Amino acid sequence: MAKKRYQPPTQAGIGQFFDSIFIMALVFSSLYLSLKYEDLKAFLGFGGGEQAAGDAAASAAAVTWESLGQNPTMQAQWEKLGYTVDSAAEIINAKFDYSIDPVALIVTAVVVIGYFVFLFKVSDKEYRDVIGEKFDN
Amino acid sequence: MENFWDILTWGAWIGAAALLLWMILDAIRVNREYSEELLISSREGADELLEADKKGGK
Amino acid sequence: MAAETTAGKTERINLLKVLGPVHVWALGVGIVLVGEYMGWNFSVQKGGAYGSLIACLFIGLLYTCVAMIDSEVTSTVAAAGGQYAQAKHIVGPLMAFNVGLYLVLAYTMLEAADALVVGDLMATVAGQTGHDGLDPRPFVVFTVAILAWLNYRGVFMTLTVNFVITAIAFFALVVLLIGVKPWNPGEILMHSELLTDLPYGWIGVVAALQFGMWYYLGIEGTCQAAEEVRSAGRSIPLGTMSGMITLLIAAIITWYMAVGLMPWEYLGQTFLPMYDAAVLTDNTFLIVVLFIGTIFSAIASANGCINDASRAWFSMGRDRYLPIWFAAVHPRYRTPYRAILFLVPVAIAFGFTGLLDQVITFSILSGLLGYTFMSLNMMAFRRKWPLGSIKRGYIHPFHPLPALSLLVLCAATYFATFLGYGASLLAIMAFFIVASVWFHFHRYKFVRRADQFTMPWPKPKGY
Repeated sequence: MAKKRYQPPTQAGIGQFFDSIFIMALVFSSLYLSLKYEDLKAFLGFGGGEQAAGDAAASAAAVTWESLGQNPTMQAQWEKLGYTVDSAAEIINAKFDYSIDPVALIVTAVVVIGYFVFLFKVSDKEYRDVIGEKFDN
Repeated sequence: MENFWDILTWGAWIGAAALLLWMILDAIRVNREYSEELLISSREGADELLEADKKGGK
Repeated sequence: MAAETTAGKTERINLLKVLGPVHVWALGVGIVLVGEYMGWNFSVQKGGAYGSLIACLFIGLLYTCVAMIDSEVTSTVAAAGGQYAQAKHIVGPLMAFNVGLYLVLAYTMLEAADALVVGDLMATVAGQTGHDGLDPRPFVVFTVAILAWLNYRGVFMTLTVNFVITAIAFFALVVLLIGVKPWNPGEILMHSELLTDLPYGWIGVVAALQFGMWYYLGIEGTCQAAEEVRSAGRSIPLGTMSGMITLLIAAIITWYMAVGLMPWEYLGQTFLPMYDAAVLTDNTFLIVVLFIGTIFSAIASANGCINDASRAWFSMGRDRYLPIWFAAVHPRYRTPYRAILFLVPVAIAFGFTGLLDQVITFSILSGLLGYTFMSLNMMAFRRKWPLGSIKRGYIHPFHPLPALSLLVLCAATYFATFLGYGASLLAIMAFFIVASVWFHFHRYKFVRRADQFTMPWPKPKGY
């Protein structure tokens, strides 16, 4: 026969207010966390593909458009955009370093895949309740 | 030109404040004039529900 | 308009069904087009000019899959929550809660970024006319306030305005294309001198996928209009597909113009690539047109984001996934007015934290998590309700190929994000995991189980 329907409690205004604040507070803390994480990551040597600071200082003395690999057309456009050879060198020399830290890659993959597996497992459990209540009554 | 940007800056502040105030006042007014039950009465898939209601002879 | 007053206790106010395919197009393209004016070019920094083009085409494929899959599911699940309502019906409550959060956060954060662009452009123009140090904040707040007001007052006007300004922003790109005289290479466009080989090889191309998403990010937002569209089953697929075609065209002409005007190293780091492109033509008319295009694209995007984020927040409230208070519909304007109001200070706060980089990364990743869900969701949808078991407004071809390609492309994009933004990726995952635990153990007890399932479908296969 029909199963007993789940009767949820009614949430009082104050509880509703706290729940709305909570979820937003959580968002902002994770934003700050990712900021703080930059430091933590530097400490752990975590991640891959950091943007390496250009070693402009070392080559500053001898920097020319040719040494930066810029042809006359490129040079003209840089200058039109208001750059000198020195200020352009800073941009041009800032290159990504795509060396990959395998441990970090595996950890990240496990977290992402684990997250989705967890979501689907728990959702399916809750979903069976929903379907049961909806169709078996 | 100085004046123009100052006016624009103040205009933006005042305009934003006025719009936000209007929305808040309107929301408060609506809360007072209508019952909470009616305000949160919307249903997902209302099309089908309305059709079902009609078929139900209401 | 008065509430639906029928006899007895069935008095209800619902969202208004007034939109057509044109509004769906305006909502989808409006949110995205700003990505053509700025943002996509960071993919040039990660992989070079050709790397960006390859990323643009691959990600275009990803989004074509997204559009096809979304069209099919939405033409069947026509509810304001969009993907949230899909998840609720097809996968389950916890997934739905996460999808709802992806939507709200991705759109609210994008809205904040758009409003900041408007503020910065005002400051730039003030600087160029001799007024240095203009405070951009009042313009940011004003942009958010007026768009929230527009959304509060009704969806029809909101999206009609969006259609007009999106169309103008699109034509600004076309005007620039004509202005740079592509039929006469070497005069303004100098591809042969400016294009270089792949600076990082193929790994750079993969890394570029991350920002390649900017070319199309947000087109899936068309689903949020489902509850307000007349004959959603026809209008949503039509609006979404035509939007996708518009964006593919816009993406390719954008890339073509920009790389023909700027060295890739410059292009990869500028904040206003299309405005810079206009400046490089020395043509005042084009500069003014592109200024207008940039402002309009940012406003259209913020406007669409308010629309979508508030629908998702509202839908979650309606199911008590969030406080029921947010489920209110305005009796006169028929909009989710409390959700709209609540998200105003949130958007302003995102804009003013000074964490713009984190906010943007969070926004993109929320989108990416959403696409991963869509792929898995599509497979579950066809399994639980095989073709023929329910009425579908649109059936996409070649299933499961689009879903599988979407999954593969998502995996590649996670990897691309890992290259350079690995730490942010983990911080964001931490957020969603904590939020999920909170939902399962705290929030879900307020949810009426069977009431969430609102579609008139038969029981899913296998349950």
